[in-house]
Amino acid sequence: MNIEVMFPEVCNLYGDLANVKLIKDSYPETVVIETGLKDIPYFFENKPDLIYMGSVTEDNQVLVIEALMKYKGRIKTLIDEGVCFLVTGNAIEVFGGEISDVDGTKLRGLGIVEISTKRDMFNRFNSLYIGKFDNLDIVGYKSQFTHSYYYNNQNSSQLFDTIRGAGLNPEVKEEGIRINNFFATYVIGPLLILNPDFAKYLLEQLGINNPKLLHEKDMIEAYKLRVKEYSDSNTGFYY
Amino acid sequence: MHRIRFFIALWGAKGSKILLKITRNNGTNFPGKIAIKICPDFLKYINKPKKIIGVTGTNGKTTVANLAIDMLEYDGEKVLNNSLGSNTITGIVTSLINGVSLSGKSKYEKGVFEIDEKSTKRIFPEVTPDYLLVTNLSRDSIMRNGHPEYISKILTKYIPKATKLIINADDLISSNISPENERVYFGIDKMDTDKTECTNLINDLQICPKCHSKLSYDYLRYHHMGKAVCNNCGFSSPESDYLGENVNLTDMTIDIKEAGDVNRYRLLNDSVFNIYNVVSIVALFRELGYSHDKTKKLLEKVNIISSRYNVKEIDDKKVFMQMTKDRNAFACTRVFDYISSLPGEKELIIMMSNLDDAKHWSENTCWLYDCDFELLNKDNIKNIVVVGPRSKDYYLRILFAGIDGEKVVNTMNELDAPNYLKLFENDNIYILYGTDSIELASLVKEKVETRIRGGN
Repeated sequence: MNIEVMFPEVCNLYGDLANVKLIKDSYPETVVIETGLKDIPYFFENKPDLIYMGSVTEDNQVLVIEALMKYKGRIKTLIDEGVCFLVTGNAIEVFGGEISDVDGTKLRGLGIVEISTKRDMFNRFNSLYIGKFDNLDIVGYKSQFTHSYYYNNQNSSQLFDTIRGAGLNPEVKEEGIRINNFFATYVIGPLLILNPDFAKYLLEQLGINNPKLLHEKDMIEAYKLRVKEYSDSNTGFYY
Repeated sequence: MHRIRFFIALWGAKGSKILLKITRNNGTNFPGKIAIKICPDFLKYINKPKKIIGVTGTNGKTTVANLAIDMLEYDGEKVLNNSLGSNTITGIVTSLINGVSLSGKSKYEKGVFEIDEKSTKRIFPEVTPDYLLVTNLSRDSIMRNGHPEYISKILTKYIPKATKLIINADDLISSNISPENERVYFGIDKMDTDKTECTNLINDLQICPKCHSKLSYDYLRYHHMGKAVCNNCGFSSPESDYLGENVNLTDMTIDIKEAGDVNRYRLLNDSVFNIYNVVSIVALFRELGYSHDKTKKLLEKVNIISSRYNVKEIDDKKVFMQMTKDRNAFACTRVFDYISSLPGEKELIIMMSNLDDAKHWSENTCWLYDCDFELLNKDNIKNIVVVGPRSKDYYLRILFAGIDGEKVVNTMNELDAPNYLKLFENDNIYILYGTDSIELASLVKEKVETRIRGGN
C-alpha cells in the first residue's frame, strides 16, 4: 500500500499527520510518499492507494492551490476512478470553488467539489463534533476561521450526518464531502485515531481485509468514552 | 462627558477593589472589567507610566516579565505590573487602575506588562510600549491561537510603529513581525546539541518566507528555532545584536556578545528555553541603558518563580515540580525534551488535562499528536503515571510514541497518582502540571512527599 501525503511541510497543523502515522504504524510495509510544494506529485503519473492532505495556514493555502491547479484534471480523473482521498480540516476548501474573506479578498480554489467558503479571521469557530457515517458514530473537533456552503444541485454527497455540532456550516447538518472514495471533512487532527471503526472502514477501501489497528483496544476504549461524553446533552459543545 | 464617564468608571473600579477585599474574593481582573463596562474607552483615558515595557510571545513571557519586574525592583524602581492578574485587557486595565490615584494621576514612572498576543489588538491602540520583548512565536492553543502565522499577523497589524522591538533572531516567525519597527535581535549561537534537520513533529517554518523553497538550517535547535538560510534566494535569519555563546552548564554561565564586546552572565536554569529567557532579559536591560555590571548584579538576585518550577530533595529522592503548559504542544515538547536530557532514573506524573475544559466541554486533544511524546521513550524513564479526565487519550498517545505500555499507568483521579509511584533508590520524580492545576499539583506533591517519608 502506498500513501501520498500532499505538502507535509505546510499541511501539517493540529496533529493531522497522525492519520498517516496510524496507518503506517498499523501496516509498517506501507510506503509513504511525501510530496512537497515544488515537487511533481506522485499521483501525476501513478495511482497511489491513498492521497492525504491536512490542515494548512491561510497563506500556505494559496501556495497549495497554486501547486495543485495544473493537476486539477488529473485529480478529477483519480476521483472518478475511485482512488481514495482523505482530506481533513480546512484543506477541504482547496478543492472548492472559492474562498472569500470578509476583508474582501477572494481566492479561487480548484473547483473540483461544489462548495464555496467564507472566511473571517476575527472569528474562530471551535466545537466538538459527533455525527454518523453510515451506522458508525464519528467524533472529533472543529477549529476554523471559515465555513463552507454547498452549491445548489451539488453533484456530491455529505461525508457525515451531524448529530451535534456544525455541519459544513452551522446552519446545516450535512458535514464534509464525499465523491466516490474522496473523503473530505472539516474535522481536524487525528480523525482516524479518534474513530477506529472509521479507520478500519477506510483501510477496507484500501484493499485490506479484516483490518487490525495498532493499539486498537485502547483506541476503542478512548473512543467509547468520547462518544459517551459527546452524546451527553450536559457536555458543552462550543468553546 | 468622556472625562466624567472615565472618573465614574475609575472610582467604581477602585470601589470594587475594596468590596473584593471585604468579601475576600479573588477576582483579580474584576476592577478592570467594571471599568471597561462603564467606560469602554477607559484604556484610552487612564494615565499610564512614562516608560512602558511589554513582554509577549507564545512561551516564556510570564518568566521574562517577572524577571524584568524583580530586577527593576531590586534596582529600587517602583514598577507597575500585571504579574498578579491576567495578561489580557482586563488584567492590564486592572493594574493601571492600581497605579493611579483617585484623581487619575499615575503613581509610577515605569510599567512592565505581560501581554497576551491576541489581546494586543485591544490593548495597543491605547498603550504604546516603548519596548516590546517578543520571546518567540510557536504553536499554542489550537482553539484560541490557531497557528503562529495568524498570531504574527495580529502582532504586525497592532504593534504601534513607535515601539522598539526586542525579538528573537533564532525564530523566523517572530523576527519577521512589524518589519517597519525599529528592532534589536537576541539569539544563541550554535550549541553542541543543535542539529541541521528538524526531528520534532512541529516545524512551522519549513519553507522560505520569500521564495517558498525548502529552507536549510546552519543549525537547528528545535522545531523552527535556529539559523535558517534559503539556498535558492539567499534569505537568511537576522544576525543577533545580543548573541549568547559558550553556554556552560557546569558553571551555569553564558557569554553574551554585543557589538564585539563579550560579557559573562549567570544562567538561572539549564533548560534551553530558560537560557533564551536570560539572553532576552539582558538585551532588554541593555536597551534600557543598564550597564553590563549592573545587569549582572541584578540577575544574580532573581530566580524563576517557584509556581512554575521547583525542586525539593527528600532523603535520596528529588521531587521536581514543572509547569507544563497544557494544550500547547510546543511548550510540552520543550519540557519533555528537557526532562529526557537529564541524567538519572525518573518517574513522571503527567497531570496536564485542562480542568476547566473538563468542566465546560471536553478538551480538544489534537495537540497531543503535535507534541513529541516520543522524547519520553527513554530507558531511564522507568514509570509514567498519566492522570486526569483525559488520561485515556494521553495513554494512547504515549503508546503511539512507542513507549512500552507496561511502564505506563493511567488513572482518572489526580490524588491517586502518587500511589502508582515505585519510589526506587535515587528516584527523580517529576510532576508535570498544567496552568489551571497548580493547587491540585501541590496536593499531589504533598502526597508524594508523604509516601517518600514512609506514610500513606
